[in-house]
Amino acid sequence: MSEQTFNPPLPQKTVLQTAAQKAVPYLAAVIVSFLVAGVFIAAMGFDVLKAYETIFFTSFRSLNGFVQTLLKLIPLMLHAYAFTVPLTAGKYNIGAEGQFLAGAIGATAVGIVFASLPPLVLLPLVLLGGILAGAFWGLIPGWLLYRFSINEILTTTLFNFVSFNLVDFIATKVWADTAAGHPTTIAIGEGGWLPLLVNRPPLHAGILLALALAAAVYVYTNRTVAGYDLVATGANPRAAKVYGINVRRMFILSLVLAGAIAGLSGAIEVAGVQHRLIEGMQSNFLVLGLIIGLLAKGNNLAVPFVAFFIAILEVGASAMQRTLMIPVQMIFIVEALVLVFVLMSDVIGRRRR
Amino acid sequence: MTDETIILEMKGIYKAFDQNQALDDVSFALRKREIHGLLGGNGAGKTTLMNILYGLYRMDRGSVLRGGREIDIRSPRDAIRHGIAMVHQHFLQVETYSVMENIVLGSDVKHPYTMNLAEERHKVSELAERFGLQVDLDAAVEGLTMGARQKVEILKSLYRGVDILILDEPTTNLTPQEVDTLFESLRVMVNEGLSIVFITHKLREVLSVCDRITVLRNGKNILTLGRGEASEEAFVRAMVGEEMNVEKSIFFSKGKLGEEALRVGETPVLEMENVHLTRSDGIALLKDITLTVYESEILGIAGVAGNGQRELAEVIMGVQPPSGGRIRVRGVAEGSASGDLLRQGVAYIPEDRLHDGFLPKANVATNLILGFHRQPPYSRGVFLDWNKVFETARGLIREYNIKTQSPADAGGNLSGGNIQRVMIARAFSRPAKLLVAHNPTRGLDIPSMEFVYQKLLEGKKGGMATLLLSEDLDELLLLCNRIVVLYRGEIVGVLPRSRFEKYEIGRMMSGVRTNV
Repeated sequence: MSEQTFNPPLPQKTVLQTAAQKAVPYLAAVIVSFLVAGVFIAAMGFDVLKAYETIFFTSFRSLNGFVQTLLKLIPLMLHAYAFTVPLTAGKYNIGAEGQFLAGAIGATAVGIVFASLPPLVLLPLVLLGGILAGAFWGLIPGWLLYRFSINEILTTTLFNFVSFNLVDFIATKVWADTAAGHPTTIAIGEGGWLPLLVNRPPLHAGILLALALAAAVYVYTNRTVAGYDLVATGANPRAAKVYGINVRRMFILSLVLAGAIAGLSGAIEVAGVQHRLIEGMQSNFLVLGLIIGLLAKGNNLAVPFVAFFIAILEVGASAMQRTLMIPVQMIFIVEALVLVFVLMSDVIGRRRR
Repeated sequence: MTDETIILEMKGIYKAFDQNQALDDVSFALRKREIHGLLGGNGAGKTTLMNILYGLYRMDRGSVLRGGREIDIRSPRDAIRHGIAMVHQHFLQVETYSVMENIVLGSDVKHPYTMNLAEERHKVSELAERFGLQVDLDAAVEGLTMGARQKVEILKSLYRGVDILILDEPTTNLTPQEVDTLFESLRVMVNEGLSIVFITHKLREVLSVCDRITVLRNGKNILTLGRGEASEEAFVRAMVGEEMNVEKSIFFSKGKLGEEALRVGETPVLEMENVHLTRSDGIALLKDITLTVYESEILGIAGVAGNGQRELAEVIMGVQPPSGGRIRVRGVAEGSASGDLLRQGVAYIPEDRLHDGFLPKANVATNLILGFHRQPPYSRGVFLDWNKVFETARGLIREYNIKTQSPADAGGNLSGGNIQRVMIARAFSRPAKLLVAHNPTRGLDIPSMEFVYQKLLEGKKGGMATLLLSEDLDELLLLCNRIVVLYRGEIVGVLPRSRFEKYEIGRMMSGVRTNV
């Protein structure tokens, strides 16, 4: 079984070459998915080229389009990190949605209770409220895993449903805005709003927080001793344990971090966009985050780029629906196809060996 | 006894794994009624060649001829149809089934619904009788010794009516007595008309049992000769090539280490007193272990695999706490966890390198500092110093001859032997006062084994105490000052070097206590 001979080392491949080789299956997957989706669009009687032009260029044709893309990028990126950071330690967090809502609840609560505080105090408190509430929502499954070895996939998923009902309770019973036709809370104090970087179209400062987070995740996982522990735990928990890493503690930590990241996303959504808690504000971020994380193959460094690509598709798809009347669901099909084909390219790569 | 008829021939076989040319134009011919030794170090391509014959791998190029006609083998089923069976190092048996059930498993039986195996049983007992392979056919496989399990595996092949039997390193887990019995059975088999391929890296074994010997090295044919046609030296040279100095080697020194190399210190480094380890279901894994390893001593632990060696290593390394007793390592607080032990100069080479010691998804540099990553020079405070890590990694890769493209290459791309080199490089990368090494040379070729032996003796000279747990009895006889024999988690006896005797240790390995 272990019989293998040793050959002289191969000539060093350049980094660029390797990167290019890695990109090939992705590009192929993207092209093939668009070809397949094109068949559907054509069969529905729409102009395929026009549709694709809209999807790809809306983000770059106007400042508005670009700002929309950045705004979309924030929650997508954070939700993807909420999946890939625990995945670095080998744990699957399917609960970003619940952690996002917990974060939104925390941010809203702080924003309403301390509504009169000045921005310099209130804004950090609102964000912190969101982060802590999200972290707490990640801590519960983490603790259940640590204490009783209950599978985290199960608990994180189920805690999403708990959060839905909690949002409903708060938006209808605690701080309900009775004037709104939909379960919604009253607005948080203006001191808790994220400042705008661009006034028209409005771009809030959340994008800076998201980029700072991306940098922090990179430094943490690649440059620190604690990050080494996390990576080693994910690479082989048994060996990590034998070599002195407390892997169960790493598991719990990874889920708390994921919760904090998703919670931050919830706080940004409250402080930057809605200024209140609204039922259903979690949108489909969870699934998009999972898709991004899987496309990035769990690589934290690739997350912002993949997230940006998906944000372009999402914004382009909305424009396509507005101008060409092609249902926006079409883009979900494309995204799902890209994922399927990327995963398939892995299988093919393995077969060829 | 052998006749010259060639019953099987492999011609011009090529096989590559990725970039790695495992077999390069290898040819092999098997005569009727011969035991043909396939000799070579790890990585020579012996098992790969036979796995191709048995249908587990597909060759890239080449042909296989059976009785002069070309055949196409795509699966073990094809191989058995052509009368070829293989017994691997790791047996594939259903633990909870009886011996009889394991033997007929996968073959057609006369009464499939009632499982009345009377007829099959008759055939099996006849085979067992004829070839000296007696086993209790009704015993569950899980309770059997390794030697008995091997008999089951051979019976399984014979039951299927093959006339070519391939044995992959068949002596690995056997006591010397069991080895003798196996060799007798093999002789009977060839007398009855079978042909046997005997894969091994142990020269002594082929010289004692094989009729002809083929030596492979780095995936190439080196020579094929009858046993009497060449001297032992010629075979040694064929196995290791020119780059190794055979005269000065420890590996080929036949246990004649100098006075200097055998000197032992007086300070105890590791002391274990009445150590017990009991599994949660009450089964005792370690019973009343008391032993001491002194400075500059290599203490060997012999025993058939699975008799508590792994548990012994793990309680010492703080991976699992003992259920009772005391373990003291000089200068380290009692009951320290594995991380603290590593930090304070206890090195560890785990047995199961893939599960216990390696991060396949992380790069080679990351693997080389596992366990030491919290201390300088690899890290300062919160941050890792990757420049320093890579610098050290490059040095270790060079010194330990790890075949990899760069320290940034994924660990999963390494071959088994190279992963073992990473384990060894890591263990020796920091000064250690105690080394716990479990099968440190498994999967290494002979020059690399030699290198490890040199490192062990070097460490010993510098005062390092070593606990060497090994399945390779020759290795223990070669290097150790004392040998402790483990049987079912208990110490059966301790032998000083002056009393090393293979068969004596073999008896102890099967549980016979001797008065020491």
